Amino acid sequence: MDDVAEKIVAILRKNMRNPDKEITLETKLSDLEIESLDLAVIVFDIEDTFGIQIPYNANEDVQDFATVGSVVERVKSILAGSHASGAAA
Amino acid sequence: MYVNGKGRRVAITGLGAVTSIGTTAETFWSAIKRGENGIRPLKSLPLQDLYITVGGEVLDFDPRERCRTKALQLADRYSQYAGVAAAEAMAQSRLETPLANGERAASIIGSGAGGLATLESAYEDLFIHKKKATHPLTLLRTIGSSAAAHVSIEHGIKGPVFGTVSACSTAAHAIGLAFQLIRGGAIDIAVAGASEAALTYGSMRAWQAMRVLSPQGCFPFSRRRNGTSLAEGAGILVLEDMEHARNRGADVLAELKGFGMTSDSADMVNPNIEGPSSAMQIALDDAGLAPSDIDYLNAHGTATTANDINETRAIKRVFGKHAENLSISSTKSMHGHCLGAGGGVEAVVCVQALREGFVPATIGFDEPGDECDLDYTPNEGRNKKLVHAMSNSFAFGGLNAVLVFGSGAG
Repeated sequence: MDDVAEKIVAILRKNMRNPDKEITLETKLSDLEIESLDLAVIVFDIEDTFGIQIPYNANEDVQDFATVGSVVERVKSILAGSHASGAAA
Repeated sequence: MYVNGKGRRVAITGLGAVTSIGTTAETFWSAIKRGENGIRPLKSLPLQDLYITVGGEVLDFDPRERCRTKALQLADRYSQYAGVAAAEAMAQSRLETPLANGERAASIIGSGAGGLATLESAYEDLFIHKKKATHPLTLLRTIGSSAAAHVSIEHGIKGPVFGTVSACSTAAHAIGLAFQLIRGGAIDIAVAGASEAALTYGSMRAWQAMRVLSPQGCFPFSRRRNGTSLAEGAGILVLEDMEHARNRGADVLAELKGFGMTSDSADMVNPNIEGPSSAMQIALDDAGLAPSDIDYLNAHGTATTANDINETRAIKRVFGKHAENLSISSTKSMHGHCLGAGGGVEAVVCVQALREGFVPATIGFDEPGDECDLDYTPNEGRNKKLVHAMSNSFAFGGLNAVLVFGSGAG
C-alpha cells in the first residue's frame, strides 16, 4: 500500500469498533462494520487529513465507497485535481 | 363526552403557519394547492464553503410588522415564527385573550434547535470579534422553551407551558401531548406545535457534513431523490375540548383523534420498520380506527434513500391491502424539511386537506424510486372526499410520532 492508502486505512481503523481486522484494498467497508454515519465521519477525517473536499452524498454515492480501494481511488483523483487547480490559485 | 374509554374528544379550532411558501395558514395552504416550490437558492446567509446552497427560507417576514409585542420583536426568529403562527391560530379560534381561565390552558411549543441563530452570532461575537460581552438577551433568545413562554405571556396561558425536543418529531410530540392533556381532562385548551429557524451558516455546515442534503431539492419517493432540503417555519394548532368548543359556538375545523409514539431504540440515523409501524398502529388504535378508515397520509417523506424506502415498507406493513388505495404525499417537496416544525406544518396541511377534500401533491416527482411503489400523488394534487388523515413524523434517533385527524363531523 502506498502513503495515501496507508493514511486512509489508519483513518478507517480509528473509526472501527474492532480495529485489528485485516484490511486490504479489496476489503468491503461493510465487512469492517462501517455504516453510513461512520462513513460521514470517515470522509470528514479524510478531508481534514488531506486538505481536500470530497463531494460525498450518503443518498447516492454509497457504491463509490464500497471498498477500501474505491475510497483510495476517489481520494487520489481529487488530490490530482486539487493539485492542478492549486497551481492557478 | 367520552369515546373509546379514553376520555374527551379534542377539537382543532385554530391553525397558524409560517413557511417558505406562505407566512399565514391561508397563504400557505393556497401555495400547497398550487404545488409551489419553496426550495430556492439561499439568500440570507453566506455561502462560502457551502456546496449545499438551497433551502426553504422564510423571506416574506418582517418582525416589526408581524410581531405584536416588543418582547417578541426582540426574540429569536424561531420564537417569532411560533408567536406569529400562534397568534394567527388563536385569532381563528376566536378565543378571547388573555384567556379568562388561563390555568386550564397549555402552551406546548417545541423546537429541534431553539434559538440557534442567536447562539451562533453570540459565539461569533465572543470568539471571532473578541467582544467583551454577548447581547444581554442571548440566553432568553436561545433557550428552547422561549417560544412556549412567549405564547403563554401573549395569550394569558397559565397551565402547562414547556417545549418538546425530538428533532423531526418535535411538533408531533407537542401536539400529541397537548391532545392527551385535553383528553384526560387536565386542561381545556392548548396552543401546540413547533417552530424552527435553523438555516444558519453553522447549521448548514453541520448538516452538509452529515451528507444527507440534496444539492438540488427535495424529491420524496422519486427516482431522482438524493437527499432532503432544510427549511424554516412554524406550524401551530389550537386544540380544545370538543364540548368546550361547541358550548362557545366555535368553528370546529377538524378533530384530533389519535396519537402514537414509539422509539426504534436501534440506531441514530438508520430507521427500522418496527418503530414507525407500531407508532402508526398505536395511533390508529388510539383513534379507534381501522387502516382502511384512513383516506390520506401525509408521509414523513424526507427524500433520503433510507427514509422513503423504510417508510413505504412500514406503511405496507400497517395498511396491508389498503396501502394501494391510500392517497399519500410528502408536502416536504414544497415547504421543505422544517425539522422540528415539520409535524406542525404538516398538521396544518392535514386539517386543510380534510376541510377542503383535497389531497396535496408530491411535487418534483420524475418516476417512482426503487421500492417506492405506492400512490404518492405525483405532481398534481387531487380532489377527494377525506374523512380521516394520518401524519407521520420520524426523527433522527429513531423517534416516531404519528397523529390521526378526523373531519370533526358527528
